[in-house]
Amino acid sequence: MKFPDQLIPAPLRKPAKPGQNGHGNGSAPANLKDSPPERQADSQKLLDKAKEAPIDVAGWVDQRTGATSFVTGMLYRKVPKGTNWFYTLGSATLFAFAMQALTGVFLSMYYTPSPVEAYGSITHLTNDVFLGEFVRGTHKWGASVMTILIFLHMGRVFFFGAYKYPRELNWVIGVVLLILTLVMGFTGYLLPFDQRSFWATVVGVNINGTGPVVGPYLSDFLRAGAEFGPSTLSRFYAIHMLLVPGLMIALIGAHMYLVVKLGTTAPPWVRGAKPKPSRTVERVNAGANGRNGHNGASANGHSRVNGGNGRRVGKDDESQRE
Amino acid sequence: MADDTGDKEKQGAVGTPHGQPTPEAPGYFEGESMTRRRVFTVAAQGVGGLAGMAIALPAIGFAVAPIFSREDETWEGVGPVADFDAATYKPVVFTIVEDIGEAGKTLAYVRKGDEKLEEDPGEYIAISTRCAHLGCPVRYVEAAGNFICPCHGGVYDFQGKVIGGPPVRPLDRFQTRVTNGKVELGPRYSVTSQLEPVRTRDPGEFTGGIWEYLYPPRPSTPPAP
Amino acid sequence: MNSRDKEQYLQEYEVLKKKGKPFFPYAVMKDSVMMLVVAIVIVVMALVLGAEQGPKADPTTTTYVPRPEWYFFFLFEVLRVIKPPELVPIATIGIPTIAMMLLLLLPFYDRNPERAPQRRPIATTAGCLTIVAMAYLTYLGASAGAPDKIEMEVAAEYEEGKQFVAQSGCLACHKIGENGNDGPGPELTEIAQQIPRAAIYRSLQIGPGIMPSYADARPNEINAAADFLATLD
Repeated sequence: MKFPDQLIPAPLRKPAKPGQNGHGNGSAPANLKDSPPERQADSQKLLDKAKEAPIDVAGWVDQRTGATSFVTGMLYRKVPKGTNWFYTLGSATLFAFAMQALTGVFLSMYYTPSPVEAYGSITHLTNDVFLGEFVRGTHKWGASVMTILIFLHMGRVFFFGAYKYPRELNWVIGVVLLILTLVMGFTGYLLPFDQRSFWATVVGVNINGTGPVVGPYLSDFLRAGAEFGPSTLSRFYAIHMLLVPGLMIALIGAHMYLVVKLGTTAPPWVRGAKPKPSRTVERVNAGANGRNGHNGASANGHSRVNGGNGRRVGKDDESQRE
Repeated sequence: MADDTGDKEKQGAVGTPHGQPTPEAPGYFEGESMTRRRVFTVAAQGVGGLAGMAIALPAIGFAVAPIFSREDETWEGVGPVADFDAATYKPVVFTIVEDIGEAGKTLAYVRKGDEKLEEDPGEYIAISTRCAHLGCPVRYVEAAGNFICPCHGGVYDFQGKVIGGPPVRPLDRFQTRVTNGKVELGPRYSVTSQLEPVRTRDPGEFTGGIWEYLYPPRPSTPPAP
Repeated sequence: MNSRDKEQYLQEYEVLKKKGKPFFPYAVMKDSVMMLVVAIVIVVMALVLGAEQGPKADPTTTTYVPRPEWYFFFLFEVLRVIKPPELVPIATIGIPTIAMMLLLLLPFYDRNPERAPQRRPIATTAGCLTIVAMAYLTYLGASAGAPDKIEMEVAAEYEEGKQFVAQSGCLACHKIGENGNDGPGPELTEIAQQIPRAAIYRSLQIGPGIMPSYADARPNEINAAADFLATLD
């Protein structure tokens, strides 16, 4: 797909070759006397200018940021042959995360992270605020949906073997993101401060405490003390709102950068033309035998129409044509 | 031409990239080891490190401080001496963490000491409802005379020792004392499987013997009685 | 994966990429449709299932049965079935840590250059087994009944006995139908087939072995309990 000329800023456009009609800057009509250039009405001139305005804006931004090459590189890059619907799970997870972030911001406008007032603030949000229950429901079920999607995405990557060379680092980042997602679920779960939240959190923090040597200090750190106290809820709130989302956004950025840079894999059942060493050997032999004298020189693995073995070369041609 | 060679000498005169002095440098003497480049490198790393520490250490300290701070001991009265007897437990609610309203309260089962179990009848036993497996609330079942945990099926006998299920040690207790005819409950403490008191531990942590070192007591907990 | 495999993969990948389609609009279209589906699913769930608030957090309760969120049910079930106290830290810390390490280091110990599932039998089998195990554990965790209810239909005259059995902690050691724990006591779902009512009554009276004795309960309660248990066959 050719990048349309209009979107390239004027100084970067290639000048029109002489003799091209119409679009070039400096082409003059063949006969100026007989067909003088038509004069445009003023309104028409303005309309043309208005249509070009967004392009000019994009050009302005691009001259100052160099962003166009990045955006076009990202948008128009090729994805391998055979990319199917399974590959949408990653962006679906990202979208679920974005929904959680957005609904979370709105919920945080009404929530009070104090053990005495948390429950009341949620009641107020659910009952009195316009669409409060809906936003809360979206956040609650969005968490479950995101967990499902991230596991499905991980399963897809696993079964497609897409964590192998050169994408090992991407897999590691992804597993860390999975763990952070579960941490988000754990910390966020305490915030409504009802019975279920409270006891699930007590048990979860105690599970951490069973690790030898370090465990007791870890659960003290999470709880801000030996018992569930006044700072515990605000600590969980800070982890849920600031610490883990910050880490997740940074890691998602790294994850997506690697995806764009390394590319997504093709499904493993789609094979490209692999250079088979046996074919090269055969051609070398054919060339060495001197069946076609001038072919000997080119017996180095390039596919040719008159090869050593016509059948195999024919298959080669077909795969190129696909 | 002569100027060029002088320039070339000057270019090589600043020393190697690692800051090692070279003999062409002006003022070089045998045994010199410090160059301007080295000074600036070390200073940049040092001062930058100091600046980083100035931000990071307070933040880390702030996050980690609760591990080392301990609340003052509080004792709360839960009822007159006559309310409690040795045959059964009476549940009482009292405040264990101040200033957070209902979330700071907890339940304890209190009874008088029983001579038949080799306990002092003047002492009162207050058993915490926090299961020693993972912290779920246990319930005293009067008909069976034992404590049952709903989460993973832990069962404790009348004294709080484990008789079934995954809990790792007997139920925690609260210190008790009698003041002016009222029973008062104090800080929490844990017990070994022989009911010896130790400093309070989190659920899931073994007590006694080598476990005292593998699950060390934390500074945020009150000392054992 | 040695360097020859790596180069071969990169060459094959270049070929496949050249034959592919541009990300915009083909892949973006599929992504957008999926995003729309996800949005609709979340919104429909929020509207239909709602977000009810439970009762306020109460640390003094003795009747509440804590349960985690559904995506932690598999871990909850593992904790429930590991009974010996010595193995508890393994279940709480050991197994999750080992699982995390296995997951994190996967590309470093899986050196097979093959990608197609049919050509990586070990990886495919291990993956499928893990998924099935986690799904089964999650299902078990979800259906784990509360330890003070017996979900069984009984005739009205046995209801009192059933309630007494449920509330007296029997389910902490015995399994009755779907409820209760697998140990240390024997399963009682078909106890009436194995021992007569008199033997059941005696067990309740004396509390054999580590079982506590219920002799202190009121006589009509023990009788009702024995009646109910005698119907379990």
